[in-house]
Amino acid sequence: MATLQDPIELSAPATSRGTLLALRTALRRNWLHFVLLPLMLFWISPLAWIIITSLKSRTEVFDPNAGILPAVLQWGNYPAAMAVAPFGTYLINSVLATGGILVCELITITLAAYAFARLNFPGKNILFTLFLLQIMFPIYATFLTNFVTVRELGILNSLPALIVPFVASGYGTFMLRQAFRQVPTELADAARLDGCGHLGILWHVYLPLVKPTLIAFSIIAVVTHWNDYMWPLLVTNSESVRTLPIGLGLLAKSDSGADWTRLMAATVVVVSPLLLFFVIFQRRFVDSFMHAGLK
Amino acid sequence: MSVKSTISHISRRGVLLGGAAAVAASAGLRSRPAYAAPDKVKVQFMYPVGVSGDINKLVSTMISKFNAAHEKIEVEAIYAGSYDNTEQKVITALGVGDPPATWLPINSALQTFLGLDALADVTDKAKKTDIYQDFIPGFLETAVSDGKLYGLPFQPSTPVLYFNADAFKAAGIAKPPVTWDELLEVSKALTVRENGELKRWGLTIGGGWHDWIFECFCRQNALVPWTKDKVLFDKPEAVDALEFWVKLVKAGVMPPASTWQGSANDFMAGRTAMLYHSTGSLTNLRTSSPFKVDVAFMPKNKTFGACQGGGPIMIAKKQSDAAIEASWTFAKWMTSTDVQSQWGRDTGYLAVRKSSWETPEMLAYLKEVPQAKVALEQSAYAGAFLQVPGYHKVREYLKSALDRTLAGEIKPDAALKEAADNSNREIQRLLRRRS
Repeated sequence: MATLQDPIELSAPATSRGTLLALRTALRRNWLHFVLLPLMLFWISPLAWIIITSLKSRTEVFDPNAGILPAVLQWGNYPAAMAVAPFGTYLINSVLATGGILVCELITITLAAYAFARLNFPGKNILFTLFLLQIMFPIYATFLTNFVTVRELGILNSLPALIVPFVASGYGTFMLRQAFRQVPTELADAARLDGCGHLGILWHVYLPLVKPTLIAFSIIAVVTHWNDYMWPLLVTNSESVRTLPIGLGLLAKSDSGADWTRLMAATVVVVSPLLLFFVIFQRRFVDSFMHAGLK
Repeated sequence: MSVKSTISHISRRGVLLGGAAAVAASAGLRSRPAYAAPDKVKVQFMYPVGVSGDINKLVSTMISKFNAAHEKIEVEAIYAGSYDNTEQKVITALGVGDPPATWLPINSALQTFLGLDALADVTDKAKKTDIYQDFIPGFLETAVSDGKLYGLPFQPSTPVLYFNADAFKAAGIAKPPVTWDELLEVSKALTVRENGELKRWGLTIGGGWHDWIFECFCRQNALVPWTKDKVLFDKPEAVDALEFWVKLVKAGVMPPASTWQGSANDFMAGRTAMLYHSTGSLTNLRTSSPFKVDVAFMPKNKTFGACQGGGPIMIAKKQSDAAIEASWTFAKWMTSTDVQSQWGRDTGYLAVRKSSWETPEMLAYLKEVPQAKVALEQSAYAGAFLQVPGYHKVREYLKSALDRTLAGEIKPDAALKEAADNSNREIQRLLRRRS
């Protein structure tokens, strides 16, 4: 069981590890820099365009004669964009909702993945298939039923309404189960001999070993829910419980073409918390990927 | 084994505890229930943002003014995304039997909401006021079905022909085209190619909403291409309109495809000399273009013709009489003379009342921005846009037909016949389900 490795088990961590390996090789052989540098510039160009556009005047954005950089930096775009909606409140709500979802998800997927990977109980395979099925449903297909549930819980138009439908994740359970199955059972057995119960084994043996998977999943979950637009729009009415993407929606107007300068200024504000977060914790992310003792 | 069972008991208990904690937490965090003071009627108003980032501020200002002036009513304005998002939000709320009191959809959604039996009939209420006399008839008509009124038009817009006045001057063209033939000629004169490479299109029809603009072309051929239970895209007038578009593309003066935002950007960047776009874009195009922007009627063929975007404030049927009365008071106030005059000047939407256009503030504004008047004058020829059940799908069928024809994949008559057949089948399906 433990040594069984089907190809899917490797795929998720393998891609991130692949890039890192590539990075390490790049450091060793300098010529690769010449390949990577243009790619990096290519990757960073949308971000650069967003920042440059956020500092332009409206006529400069599409005037071919205006040049790439703004003639005068229009810092005024930022307060003008922020004045459209209470972005401070939205930011707090985004952090609370995304953080709440992440914490709940990590707890539920860890427990569920452990059960599916290491316990035997009747109906396990059917249940696991159902979990996998959940991945295949696009989120829009379950909007109405989720809406009904949230309404019956009496939490419409509140922060919990943004969190409750996402506290479990079929995808995360699947990802983590595959990671758990890669951990040799001998380690778990040794821990059991030392007197650990299931939760102890999970905490002391499994979780430290699957940290890269947990981090990879967290990144995906945070980015998904940070950017979610339709569900928060559907279940919230008051500005006090709304999130950042709804504020952005106000600037991406449909009838008259977007208000590019202010939209980009607001975009910078909306993405910077995430960017900052990744820049600050980059070292930790990379370390945990490199020190993962999984082969 | 015994270890296993105890632990699983613990974890199960843990799960239960966790669940209980979550419920308790959610109860604690729950926002205050929607009860207002007993003497106040609470009215929700869901609205989309179509033209400007500041609309939600304009709307909240209007709402607080309304609330200050009406002791017995408290309106809560709820921003609900785009027109499509708003419709989804309202239909979801209708689905669970708890609709908002009022909302603002695009006028094409009229039959959709009637199909859901969601709308309060306000004909009698309107007859007691000056609404039938003072509203611009073409606008009021967008909220009428079978002679009954189901809402008050609030923010109409129509497509107009924008043109780059500097480019016209440089090409020695004195006035904008008035007929389709002139449109073709002027487009040819304004198209610039250097060494076979295109520098500027003569004309661009804003994609994404080109089905809306196509309906205007049909109306310019004296055809309203739909009735409330079928579409008439396969009529000769419609085929003729599409053949004219093909002619423009074949002459090399118009791109075969574009996007709504992209076409506006192209116009501002001088990559197209003329543009069919919404009146709602006037402020944006005027203030973001480095040249003088002017506006003209969409050229005529048999007649002038236009059709409307934007929408009416609709009132939910399934609510108490007091709530309907309060909603009506609110809708009436939002479409009153001064409020509309202000709203039109702030946003670029067309004020719905004749009297709004005669207020001193509006007259001063028109002196400053005479382009705003063009759309009003054109609206004398404007009607509702594609008010059929299932208009979302019908729009997609029509757009696909237009795109494939302009790309040269299919002949205009075959494409429109196919779109009409598919659309009518979809409409019939919805009507059957309704009955």
